[in-house]
Amino acid sequence: MSALLSVTDAHVAYGKVEAVRSVALEVGENQIVTIVGANGAGKTTLLSAIMGILPLKGRVAFAGQDLARLDIEDRVAMGLGLVPEHRELFVTMNVEDNLELGAFRIERSKAKASMEQVYALFPRLKERRKQLAGTLSGGEQQMLAMGRALMGAPKLLMLDEPSLGLAPIIVADIFRIITELRASGVSVLLVEQNAQAALKIADQAYVMELGEFVLSGKASDIAANEAVAASYLGFQHEGASVL
Amino acid sequence: MNTTIMLFLLQDGITNGAIYALLGLALVLVFAVTRVILIPQGEFVTYGALTYASLASGQMPGTAKLALAMGTVAFAFDLFVARKALHGRLIVRSVLANIVLPAIVLAVTLYFAGQKPPVAVCIALSLLIVAMIGLFLYRIAFQPLAHTSVLVLLIASVGVHLALQGLGLLFFGAEGQRGPAVLSGAFTAGSLRFTGQSITVYGITIAFIVGLWLFFGLTLYGKALRATAVNRLGARLAGIRTTLSGQIAFLLASVIGALSGIMIVPITTLYYDSGFLIGLKGFVAAIIGGLVSYPLTAVAALFVGIVEAFSSFYASNYKEVIVFMLLIPVLLLRSLAAPAVEEEKD
Repeated sequence: MSALLSVTDAHVAYGKVEAVRSVALEVGENQIVTIVGANGAGKTTLLSAIMGILPLKGRVAFAGQDLARLDIEDRVAMGLGLVPEHRELFVTMNVEDNLELGAFRIERSKAKASMEQVYALFPRLKERRKQLAGTLSGGEQQMLAMGRALMGAPKLLMLDEPSLGLAPIIVADIFRIITELRASGVSVLLVEQNAQAALKIADQAYVMELGEFVLSGKASDIAANEAVAASYLGFQHEGASVL
Repeated sequence: MNTTIMLFLLQDGITNGAIYALLGLALVLVFAVTRVILIPQGEFVTYGALTYASLASGQMPGTAKLALAMGTVAFAFDLFVARKALHGRLIVRSVLANIVLPAIVLAVTLYFAGQKPPVAVCIALSLLIVAMIGLFLYRIAFQPLAHTSVLVLLIASVGVHLALQGLGLLFFGAEGQRGPAVLSGAFTAGSLRFTGQSITVYGITIAFIVGLWLFFGLTLYGKALRATAVNRLGARLAGIRTTLSGQIAFLLASVIGALSGIMIVPITTLYYDSGFLIGLKGFVAAIIGGLVSYPLTAVAALFVGIVEAFSSFYASNYKEVIVFMLLIPVLLLRSLAAPAVEEEKD
């Protein structure tokens, strides 16, 4: 399988402080890849840099093309989408306008169809389509942020902490939808502190610590790793094998 | 004071206030989208007015040449930015927008310059010329600074204002000019006399406000502009280019400025530097609106116009002082009401 996204030897720095050091990462087609790690490990920084929000030293290729010279907007047009941790919604505009703008780079005729798909995925958004985004609950805002990103017809959707601050029942819903996305042909790069849930649905996983990947492999293997379990999953596996 | 005088002053105030409203709206728009406090807004007013007046009196306005010169610089900027990945299509588009278009407009202006064309032609050409200047101005002065702080943008804005004012003196001279009325004739209602020009001012202001409202509420580009104003990063993640939003904002601001100038210049004599003070009054309205609220800005602009009209009756020497003093209580109240605001970092 050829990789949809491939990152090699990536460094991201805030001034002189390197927040991400020589990271390599691959996301294949129809794959959910997760990056787990503690708060401050550099996960959000890495996603921002892949999206072009922060400058990245190293190589990022998407769908076979080097992204180095492309702006955020061009990366969006190529099919790379990011749902940032803070969601960055248009809070004074209604749900429908937020979604419509998500398809800014898409043909109008296709945008209509995408909106129906998003509403099918998140029926709650359809009920609230005339409500201002800023007045939605946290879970609904997360759905809207994902919906807006999906309106751009991404090939790869990067999700930054989609479960942060949400009720468990909504978290379950969002993780279910992430697996549905994979089934519909969208790859997902998922950054999560809720490692247990993320590893359960992911195909591949990377464990990040202090700006570096310390472990990578199949998500099921990572989940079974005792060291990972102890530090990130909050429990010990019975009879888990050490990688 | 009798009622007739009061009505006269009110009428006068509303006519001026309508213009300030348009300018205030443009300022709010540009600030919300690009974080630029558009001090040269006043130059758009004078450029529009004096280009119109020059054309109508059979002179060649220098602004048409300025547009071509600025377009050439903008083209050079485009080339420089794209130097590492030159696409044929990109270059062709840049040449068309930055050089061919202003060249055509310059040719048309030269053709009409000697022969006192009809009012409609003068208006169209003036709007076109100033619109191009506005667009190129964004490309040259503000787009390269888009990522910097509000303060840097403000300093650039002051610089642009001084440069444009100086060029205005060069193009139009120190003499004031008046232009022909867009709509002549007048009628009276009771003791009030409405000239065709004041009706034009009301009509165009209302049409523009309704037009802007429809543009922002219904069209994709209007919504994209609002989105950029609400959340710049969110807009970029949706694929909306900040530069596109900036271009639309500057285009609207320059057209609004030029149109305001064309509406005022038949009523008052305008000089190359008159725009600054007119723009500042729109700015007072925009500040009262907190640089975010469009309706509040429009209402405040009418208020500014009326205060100005009454103070010019009672204490004409102090009329500017009184108008600008309005800012002090407003800023005081705002600073008490609002918590400390940190500058947005992105």
